[in-house]
Amino acid sequence: MADTSIKDFEAALVELDSLVKKLEDGDLSLEQSLALYERGVQLSRFCHTRLEEAERRIEILTERGELKPAPSSLTADDLDRR
Amino acid sequence: MPDLQARMREIARRTQVPAPAPAQPSVREDAPAPRRQVLSVSELTAAIRDQLEGEFASVLVEGELSNAKVWNNGHLYFTLKDDRAQLRGIMFRTQLRYLKFKPADGLRVIARGRISVYEARGEYQITCEYLEPQGHGALQLAFEQLKKRLEAEGLFEEARKRPLPALPRKIGIVTSLDGAAIRDMLKVLARRYHNAQVVIRSTRVQGEGSALDIAQAIRAIARVPDVDVLIVGRGGGSIEDLWAFNEEPVARAIAECPLPVISAVGHESDVTIADFVADRRAPTPSAAAEIVVASRDEFSHRIERMRDRLDAAVLGRIQALSRRVHVASSRPALAGFPTRLALRGRDVTDLTHRLRQTVRARLTTRDRTLAGLRRRLDTFDLGRRLDAIRSGLTAADTRLATTIRRRQDRNEARLREYAGRLETLSPLAVLGRGYAVAWNADRTQALRRAADVKTGDRIRVTLASGELACDVRGTE
Repeated sequence: MADTSIKDFEAALVELDSLVKKLEDGDLSLEQSLALYERGVQLSRFCHTRLEEAERRIEILTERGELKPAPSSLTADDLDRR
Repeated sequence: MPDLQARMREIARRTQVPAPAPAQPSVREDAPAPRRQVLSVSELTAAIRDQLEGEFASVLVEGELSNAKVWNNGHLYFTLKDDRAQLRGIMFRTQLRYLKFKPADGLRVIARGRISVYEARGEYQITCEYLEPQGHGALQLAFEQLKKRLEAEGLFEEARKRPLPALPRKIGIVTSLDGAAIRDMLKVLARRYHNAQVVIRSTRVQGEGSALDIAQAIRAIARVPDVDVLIVGRGGGSIEDLWAFNEEPVARAIAECPLPVISAVGHESDVTIADFVADRRAPTPSAAAEIVVASRDEFSHRIERMRDRLDAAVLGRIQALSRRVHVASSRPALAGFPTRLALRGRDVTDLTHRLRQTVRARLTTRDRTLAGLRRRLDTFDLGRRLDAIRSGLTAADTRLATTIRRRQDRNEARLREYAGRLETLSPLAVLGRGYAVAWNADRTQALRRAADVKTGDRIRVTLASGELACDVRGTE
């Protein structure tokens, strides 16, 4: 996510929440309302993306402190694709 | 054992002769004494030592611990007593290590060991190999003791518990790769949060020294970048199998871990010290995997709900603003020019209403679609279909947002246009162009027909700037 105005998933949720409340309670001008709305859409997209973005990866941390992929025997009986 | 006890009784009879007042030394009492045989203290003590150490090379003795203390050299010194006698005891560091519980004053114990004599001081004591607490099992006691101690340090306090991350970037797992626990956890994760990233640090989870291994594993995995929550645990087993999770090194490592820790040891009914120290206790490893990703579904819904509220709120604002335009059109200053403006106001209201209806309908349709999809998901293979559905939803979501946005832009433009028209239609603007308003004397009514006044009446005339007081000189 290239958007640097959003720190992380949690921050985005908190901001989205407060923004919705502000929009619901506040006596805002049309311009302000639309600006908030736009930001809200941006935040909810960000959250959605974060939920979806990561690639499944299972790694083993070795005694030496290295990360290597988990043996397929561990993940073989997953109940899904491949 | 009966053999030993018989021997003990015999020895007791022989050595425990209640010191009768002027008793003769029992040694050699039976020997004919052509001349007095005098022993040195050393000789006598050595004889006693041989006797005692020979006879009591292995005994079990039960009593209450008192004056128990571990000295700087690491050995435990104590006194074992009952209501009539005392026995000093020592347990060397090398044996002490294997005790699960802390010998404390007042505990009833059975000590196993041998009697040894310390000649330099003329004392005997039991050199203890093992202490077994009575009343509770040794493990139960050890558990209670450590629990009490850590609790006193405040390690179990609610205030210490850290919240789990809403959406973990990487999930750290400390457990054995051999057991079913790791498979269970990975299976649950694959089902509930397919794109989870997991880092596993394998460790022994039972046997001598496993507590230290687990503690080390916790420290190691906490240092892996992006790991922001830990699951520490193992599958079910006997209390001895689970014991490492009741040991201090594991408890400390969890307490000191910079990341929130979920403990997941054994089954629902197994409660370990690790559970008390951890930020969250999961009844089983599978449950831990669910706790760590339950938040995913939850947040997905939360985002959707906020998105809906966001849409509704912005529409609400637009409607409120348009109502204001409507109100503005009925202000007294505009009394003479109400009709068209009121119409405009209604237009705006109407427009907004239609906009809302459309959006509502779309939202409802989407909800229904969503509900339908969910129902089908329940009956279908979840994993395989999820991606297609998700991308469909995302696309629908994007289209909806665009639609709403476009309509809002249009609405905003209209509002602006009306505001502009409002300006040109304002009576003040008309007056500015040279028109005037004529009123009756008390300025309650604008004059529309000459017949409304008669000669001599006083009237008022409002100009763009200022007012005139006039007398009617005639009507035509």
